Amino acid sequence: MLNVERLVDRVNNSTLLEDRRDACRALKAMSRTYRVEVGAQGMDTIKQVLELDRADNETINYALDTLKNIMSPTQFEEEEDNHRVPMNIGEQFTEMFIKDHHNVQLVLDLLDEYDFRVRLSAVQLLTSLLTNRPKDIQEIILVKPMGVSKMMDLLGDAREVIRNETLLLLIKLTKGNANIQKIVAFENAFDRLFEILSSEGYSDGGIIVEDCLLLMFNLLKNNSSNINFFKEGSYIQRMLPMFNTPVDEDLGWSPQKVSNVHCMLLIVRTLVSPSNSIHIVSSCQKIMKNVGLLDAVCNILMSSGVPADILTETINTVGEIVRGDVNNQEFLGNVMAPSNPPRPAIVVLLMSMVNEKQPFSLRCAVLYCFQCYLYHNEMSQANLVQTLLPSSSDVSSLTSGQLLCGGLFSSDVLSNWFSAVALMHALIDNPGQKEQLLRVLLATNIGSSPVSLLHQCTLLLQQSTKLKPKVALLMLLSQWVCNCPAAVGAFLQVPGGVGWLVAQATAGEHDDNEALVQGLAAFLLALCVHFNDDSVENYTKEMLRQLVVKRLSVESLVSQLGAVSRHEVYSRAAKHPQLRAKLPADVLLDYEFCRLFKLMESVLVQSLTAQQENGVADPTAERSSPDNGLLEQYKTLIRQQDARLQELMAQLDTLIQQNQSLQSALNDSIASNSHLKDENTLLKAQVSASTLTSQPPVQPVSQTGANTEEYERRIQELTTEVARLTNELKINQDGQQSAAEELERLRKDQDDLLELLADQDMKLNEYKTRLLSLGHVVDEDAPPPDDPAPAPAPHVPAPPAPAPTSAPAHADTLNLT
Amino acid sequence: MTFFNKFNKNLKSSITSVGKSCLLLQFTDKRFQPVHDLTIGVEFGARMITIDGKQIKLQIWDTAGQEAFRSITRSYYRGAAGALLVYDITRRDTFNHLTTWLEDARQHSNSNMVIMLIGNKSDLESRREVKKEEGEAFAREHGLVFMETSAKTAANVEEAFINTAKEIYEKIQEGVFDIHNEANGIKIGPQHYTNANAGAAKGAGAGGAAPGGCC
Ligand SMILES: Nc1nc2c(ncn2[C@@H]2O[C@H](COP(=O)(O)OP(=O)(O)OP(=O)(O)O)[C@@H](O)[C@H]2O)c(=O)[nH]1
Ligand SMILES: [Mg+2]
Repeated sequence: MLNVERLVDRVNNSTLLEDRRDACRALKAMSRTYRVEVGAQGMDTIKQVLELDRADNETINYALDTLKNIMSPTQFEEEEDNHRVPMNIGEQFTEMFIKDHHNVQLVLDLLDEYDFRVRLSAVQLLTSLLTNRPKDIQEIILVKPMGVSKMMDLLGDAREVIRNETLLLLIKLTKGNANIQKIVAFENAFDRLFEILSSEGYSDGGIIVEDCLLLMFNLLKNNSSNINFFKEGSYIQRMLPMFNTPVDEDLGWSPQKVSNVHCMLLIVRTLVSPSNSIHIVSSCQKIMKNVGLLDAVCNILMSSGVPADILTETINTVGEIVRGDVNNQEFLGNVMAPSNPPRPAIVVLLMSMVNEKQPFSLRCAVLYCFQCYLYHNEMSQANLVQTLLPSSSDVSSLTSGQLLCGGLFSSDVLSNWFSAVALMHALIDNPGQKEQLLRVLLATNIGSSPVSLLHQCTLLLQQSTKLKPKVALLMLLSQWVCNCPAAVGAFLQVPGGVGWLVAQATAGEHDDNEALVQGLAAFLLALCVHFNDDSVENYTKEMLRQLVVKRLSVESLVSQLGAVSRHEVYSRAAKHPQLRAKLPADVLLDYEFCRLFKLMESVLVQSLTAQQENGVADPTAERSSPDNGLLEQYKTLIRQQDARLQELMAQLDTLIQQNQSLQSALNDSIASNSHLKDENTLLKAQVSASTLTSQPPVQPVSQTGANTEEYERRIQELTTEVARLTNELKINQDGQQSAAEELERLRKDQDDLLELLADQDMKLNEYKTRLLSLGHVVDEDAPPPDDPAPAPAPHVPAPPAPAPTSAPAHADTLNLT
Repeated sequence: MTFFNKFNKNLKSSITSVGKSCLLLQFTDKRFQPVHDLTIGVEFGARMITIDGKQIKLQIWDTAGQEAFRSITRSYYRGAAGALLVYDITRRDTFNHLTTWLEDARQHSNSNMVIMLIGNKSDLESRREVKKEEGEAFAREHGLVFMETSAKTAANVEEAFINTAKEIYEKIQEGVFDIHNEANGIKIGPQHYTNANAGAAKGAGAGGAAPGGCC
């Protein structure tokens, strides 16, 4: 583009400010349609303008807008049909622009400019840069003195447009960079954001509210330092109004409100996420309860007309706010749903969990919430089991226990799974409830005597043909018998139970899921050996052990257990307490079960092999002591193990914590490493570019453009030349053709003449002979044409001369007419 | 109506491992961590104290001493009311580095920022390389308050933080710090927000600092 070149020249060389300004304006105008040309030829010049023409806001503004256009991450309408513009052109220009960090500093400096247009354009330009090259820009800005602080100041700009654009900038700036997040928080970001939230009407506000919340979420996500600051700075209480805006019954939830509340719930969850340190989680939970946030979130849970995805997220949030905090769990236990008759919220939630018609994600959320409700809380565990015991006073009302039993034996496999896992969570770390649950009796058929819940579960296990219920029941029974010899005894007495486990464990596997069931069966079997108190005559500890060793062998048991922990479902479930299944098919193992499995796996193998060595001595020693004493002994052992378990868990948590901080340190290093790599690549590219040509790297692009044009022109010329020549050739050919024809004609004429000549010759000879015969002497040598002889004259065919008379007639006629 | 003041304070050090994080942990959690857990960037800590019968929450940013983080930690001078400058009495190099850090701090901070000089690890008397008198002399020369501490035995740890807080508090009383200007790192408690809606007070072009009476 000649024009671009001329304009760039004008900006470069003109001494008049007006002139430069006009040229900049023109460049800006061209920078959308011709961004390749403007970027390639004008970037350096525009950078200079930023430096040299700072005093003239209008010029600066054109320069900034031009840069913004050429580095825009999105394609312009104007260039949609222009295939010469590469898709990532904005990113390429960004890369060029930020190669010199000073350029970023120039833009940062312009943030200090109070002029509306300049400040706005500078903010938008930085946002574009961050969109194109987030990691690089973050690192550059981080080391610029007051780089982050400057942007934070803009959040206080009274002009809303600037404030709002700054929000977008900060969202991009803080994403995934803990150091920047901390500086932003240090610069009072939370105060600013809550001021904006309040002025915009909290969750009833527009997209600005959502932007504020997204920024807040970025600042807190996986950032324990900022979470701590948020908590210590009393910001949790300031979230409260977000949840207290009533929903208009008629209008319902606007899409914006859905987004706003969704973000707010995400923020609450980052504060109390189980992946945070216990210390942080528990203090945040306490504050949330004390300031009424838990209450407010529970109100959403119980109000009508809440959209399903908000409801799901609310259930998850309530779960995490109460998880492991006795007071909060109790609070949730006392929340009543406004149903008729009033029912505990927990019961209403469980009704949804075992209801096939409810959305899958909602059912998963209820399970998680219920697990959180039971987590580390012996009281809520006991309350659940209590509802199943015969002594339960209130028979008429629907209880949690009844719902879970119903789910356990329903025909819906997901209900089976959810219920078994929920029930299992009532037993975790709670030997007392394991024994209590043994007392639960079920009336199966009218007339026949009731059977125990454990009995029924074992029967169901044997009859089940489907994967989910099998896995779920194996998990439930494993948790049940673990640390509970009475449950082991009860299980061993169910007819066919042991046989089924042995059959499963020796069945041989065909696919991953069969291997899983096989491994879980082996696990339960080994637990029955380990926690066996010899109370069942046919299956004493030693007898059962022998059975396992003979039928399975310890080696194959080890490998079967290994198959469980190698299963991909296992690693997925072990990651996070919340069941994170997208599809019902993903639901198979539970987080807490995986923990139990991990804990017991090596213990079980050890106990099987250890007893192998002194297997004879043990049983007698054990049998000699009275049952009660033995039980006591086990109980102490269990308590000791429990304590040890707690201790180890605490240790594990600190280790996880440490690991996390190391991980983040590593991530930082990786980030800076990759940044260095990028720089290196860039430098290499520069070096190779500068060896190829002394011109800036983009020059070849424009050169190619120019070359192409030249070539095209040349081709054009040649084509005309060829056409001309072809034409000439054609003309020549035509000429040749006519010449050949002429020749032919002449030849023919010549032949005719020759023929005529021969005729004359013959006639001449004839006359000669006739003259001779008449006695004339004929001069042989006289040339015949010059022969003045009059004789031939009359014979020479006269030209068809008109008769002398007819000519005047003709004339007369002419004259007459 | 009750209100509490809030100070920002920076914990600064010459170089790594002088015990900044340990001092903070001892102050907030009353425990000592023997393993060096290198601080990456900055970590936040807080504790409530009482001065003059008033509840004051100290907000403390523990910064990394490693040179690599220097450009990041610089961002924490602006808006800080006080800073603790820490060296290790068993390592002279950490003492020699103080001047550089002090210059840095003075350059980037509010001129009223209270700086306290801390010689840490006083329990390791046998390995002492920097005499107490040297620390005192340096502090006198640069107008700092000085104290030797041990994050391990907790000796003087409370005093170090609380004295710094007290000095800030006195400056507020004298009117040196404007408590309504957040740029000073001081803020009135959250109750204040509900009625005053504090506006932005720092930075160019930001409108209307809110007038706020203490109630
Ligand atoms: N004996 C003794 N050791 C201490 C004392 N304070 C800290 N330490 C030890 O010194 C080492 C470093 O302590 P940190 O608090 O992590 O050092 P730091 O200044 O935060 O280091 P950076 O975060 O890298 O800047 C740790 O091994 C501590 O156990 C002290 O008062 N006495
Ligand atoms: Mg540290």
